[in-house]
Parts: sequence; C-alpha cells; structure tokens
Amino acid sequence: MNRIEIQYFAVLRERAGTSREAVETSAATAAELYDELAARHDFGLPRAMLRVAVNDEFADWSQALAAGDRVVFIPPVAGG
Amino acid sequence: MPAFSFSSGPLEPELHREALADPSAGGYASFEGWVRDHNEGRTVRRLEYEAFETLAVKEGERIVAEAVARFGVTRAACVHRVGSLAVGDLAVWVGVSSAHRGEAFAACRYIIDEVKHRVPIWKKEHYTDGDSGWVNCERCAAAAHEHDHGHAHGPSATAGQADDGAPEVRHDYSRQVALPEVGAAGQAKLAAASVLVVGAGGLGVPVLQYLAAAGIGRIGIVDGDVIEASNLHRQPLYGWPDVGRPKAAVAAERLRTLNHDARIEAHETRASADNIDDLVAHYDLVIECTDNFRAKFLVNDAVVRALKPAVFASVHQYEGQVQVYRPLPHWPCLRCLWPEAPRDGLVGNCAEAGVLGPVPATLGALQAMQALKRLLGLDAGEAPALVTVDLLSLETRRLIARRNPDCDHDNPGAAVEAPVAEAPIELEFPTLADAFESGLELVDIRETWERMHDPPGLQIPTHLPLSALVNGYLQFPTEGRYLIVCAHGVRSRSVTEQLRAQGLAEVYSLRGGLAALRS
Repeated sequence: MNRIEIQYFAVLRERAGTSREAVETSAATAAELYDELAARHDFGLPRAMLRVAVNDEFADWSQALAAGDRVVFIPPVAGG
Repeated sequence: MPAFSFSSGPLEPELHREALADPSAGGYASFEGWVRDHNEGRTVRRLEYEAFETLAVKEGERIVAEAVARFGVTRAACVHRVGSLAVGDLAVWVGVSSAHRGEAFAACRYIIDEVKHRVPIWKKEHYTDGDSGWVNCERCAAAAHEHDHGHAHGPSATAGQADDGAPEVRHDYSRQVALPEVGAAGQAKLAAASVLVVGAGGLGVPVLQYLAAAGIGRIGIVDGDVIEASNLHRQPLYGWPDVGRPKAAVAAERLRTLNHDARIEAHETRASADNIDDLVAHYDLVIECTDNFRAKFLVNDAVVRALKPAVFASVHQYEGQVQVYRPLPHWPCLRCLWPEAPRDGLVGNCAEAGVLGPVPATLGALQAMQALKRLLGLDAGEAPALVTVDLLSLETRRLIARRNPDCDHDNPGAAVEAPVAEAPIELEFPTLADAFESGLELVDIRETWERMHDPPGLQIPTHLPLSALVNGYLQFPTEGRYLIVCAHGVRSRSVTEQLRAQGLAEVYSLRGGLAALRS
C-alpha cells in the first residue's frame, strides 16, 4: 500500500466534496488510482476526458505510482 | 548649459552634445525635430515659432528636471528654436546622457513629448499657396477647438492619433518604464505590438483593460454577444445602461477613454471557422477569453496554423487554468493536452456552475501578465505548463506539459473534426406545450435538484440526468425521436451532438433550454 496525496479540480472537486485528500492505495498506476477513486466518489467523467499530473508534471495514465507521490486530476475547464 | 533654452539662431547639436559629456555616462540619446514640408495635406514652405519665453523657459526647465529625477539620468537639456525656419531646419533638440541606454531613451522621449504638450510655443505655417495659419499649440488645444483661431483643424479620425486634438492629459507609462526589464525599449515594443482578444467577458474584461492601459499599440476585440444583466457582476467594464448593447463595441468605447494611445478595433462577430484565420493573421498575439471549448479549439488550431503565440484561460467556480502557446517545435498546444476535444456542457459553464467575479478577474489578469511577458521577452526561461489557480485554497500549481507526438501541428484539429449533421441540432419552441405537441418525446437531462422547483404542469416526465448518462448508469434509447431539454440548452446540445454521432438521427436539442421558453 502506498500513501498518495491527491488534489481534485473543478467537477471532480465538487463530486469528491474536497479539493485534496490522502489515500492508502494498492493502485499501481495513475489509471488504477483514478478508477478506484471514481468508484468511491461517483465521478462522472471518463478517464479519456481528464489529464493526470504526478509530482507537478503531466503524466501518462500508465505511470507507476510510488509512495508520497502528489497526484492531480484535471478535467478540462471552459468557463470565462 | 541651461536645462532649457530658446535660440533665435540655428541649433548646433554637436556643441550641445559636448555639454552633456560626463565620465559616469555610458551613453547619450538625442532627438531632433525638423521642419517638414507638409501638414494635414498642405504644403509648407517655411514656418515661424513664437514663445511666451519667461513662462516657457520655466516650464521647460521643470520638464527636464522631472526627466532627470524620474529616469535617474546623468544630464539632460533641450533647446528650442524661435523665429523663422525653412524646411529641413532643426526646430528642437533634446539630449540626455546616462549610465545606461534604456533610461537615456526614456528620458529623451519624455522630454520631447512633454515639451510639445506643456510648453507654450506657437507655430505659424506658411503654405505654398500663400496662405498661413497658427498650428500645434498643443497646450491650448482644447481652447483652440472651441475658438477657431484661423486654422481649420482636420477631424480627429482615430482616437489615439495624438498629433491633432490631443487630450490635455497624456497617458504616463513611467511607473512601468521604471522597471529595468521594461524601460523605454520595452514600452516601444508594447506600442508596436498588436493583440487579438477573443471574448470580452469575465476573462476578456481585465485582459482588455490592462493591455490597453499598458500601451499596447493595437487591440482587436472579437465578441458577437450583447451585454446581459447577468454579466455585470463579473464584467465591471460594463454598467446597467449598456445592457442590450454589443459587447465588442461598448468595450472598444471604454478602452478608447482609458488610453487614447491605443488603436481599438471592435469585431462584432462570433469567432468561427470562416473568420478566425483572417482575424489571427492581423495580430501578433492572441488571447483566448471565451467560455466554450468550441471557440478555444478554434483559436488553438488557428494560432498553431499561423505560428502565433496565444494565451488561453478558463474558469470553473473558484478555480481557473492558464496556458501559454508558443510556436516552437517542442511546445504543446491545447490539443496536445486535451487530444479528445471536450464537448461543451459536460463540465459546466459560468451560467450553470456559477462564478464569483474575482475568479475570472484573477485569471484574466494572469493572461494579461503572460501576454506582456511574451511581448517584452520576459518569459525566456519559462517551460510550457498549465497553471492552475484555486481561489478558495489560494493555491497555484505549475504542471509541466509536453508536446504530444501524436498531435499534428501541421494540420491542427484535422483528426477530430466534428461530424457534419444533416438535420439541425437545435429546435426552437415558444412554449413547453408547443414542444410536447411536436411529436418528439421530451427528455429532461437536468440533475434531480434542478427539477425540484419546476412548477406543476410544466414537468417533463422522462428524466435521464446527465450525470447518470455520463456514468453509464443509464443508457439513452438507441431508437426513437427525442427533444433533449436542459436549463440553458448547452448540455442538451452537447448530448444531442454525441447521440447524432452515435447514429441516432432524429434527436434534437431545445435551443436556449427551459430558460428560453415563455411560461
């Protein structure tokens, strides 16, 4: 199990009811982590519409996670 | 030599220049004003300068002292001719010596501008047709226009043409020129620059205000909307008397009052595939300030094609994102980050999600800053990134972004062209009863909480909330004839487009949503 710091933006923040949380997870990749959280928080957005950043860099969904990673999920935003 | 003086004989710049020499000076900048052979379409043969010398010398000395204090230059002086001058003669000389060139240029510019504006000097032009007239008394410009003093001033065609009818107060850039990274050279870059702002709403308003105020030479405003009362809380460039007026035109009006140096071009039109390349071609940099993905990707593709830099931003409730595009080989565009162009409506807009004014204001100010940095060349070390700002937690993040090798910058957007629909996507009905009578089955895709306040008798029985559709908990029927309904017609349009793309032919979106219906 890894402890991962997570930050949510926009609609994901609304759904999760928080802008950040820390989770203990066995998810090996960013994709697995999102799927796990999507099930828990009832996220509506499919992964293909989001981007993930790990430790302040945009990453592939297949990126492997390590303990202490900071993961940010970013949906596209259009308001202006 | 005196800081400011008049000379009735020819000026001798070489002599004046020597008087400014100083061991601490690393450079010298000068300006010479010459008598030209034409003014406002008339051929000038010679001219006479007349000054109210006691007053003029005092004011001139004050200006030179201001320049020395303001720009910290070593020495400065100005000599102005009086008497009769021929074409080609030297009319005025300004010289500045200084440790560094930036301050020398800035102080020189300041002195000549202020002298022309504040020192009481009159110029009588003698034309080739034998006629003559007093002109260029800028100090009494306002009075001159009220009391015709024998010279017909041409109409001031463009706000910002300061040569004739210049307002009494000049825009003063000294507080930004004082920055070592800006200086007179930076200010000149801004004056020579042109910027296109797409969208004059919550983001566009601060962008336009700060760019016009900073002295950007030419600003284009693209907006096809009219001002609505619901805009005012986050677009304080507009007031209630403007409601119903075109945004681009009102914004242009306000900006011309803000700074008469700027040339403001209002394009009262929505950015579209037909006009975007043309618009982008006429400006150096583009700032994308709309509230929808369609326009954002339209602008993205146009700037990638035209190899122009652009600054994108979006807001959602208390958050925002800013991204700069630069036409460099390794630099990501908007599609590199979002290869699947998101559809409008799925992630909410200001109308549906709500927004506090300072959120777009903050993000718009950031866009203006990014644009100024680009134009001044202050972003040299900046790696491509998406910057996120959260105004609730006051956290910002720079997320480093990279070029997506699958994103074709030679042919931007080609891989993701939206399917062309044969039938119109949207239908318009005056009332809900008319919609029910259309023979289409009405489907309400609003969330449950949005339906709670629907008046009895105006409820739509078929309810498939968008969140459940997106989650896959509910499926849209694969056949039938449907009219999809939401609050403002944005989400329903997006769902309709997706269903059309999936092959459902007879599905439509209620234009403007329930808000557009007569009750």
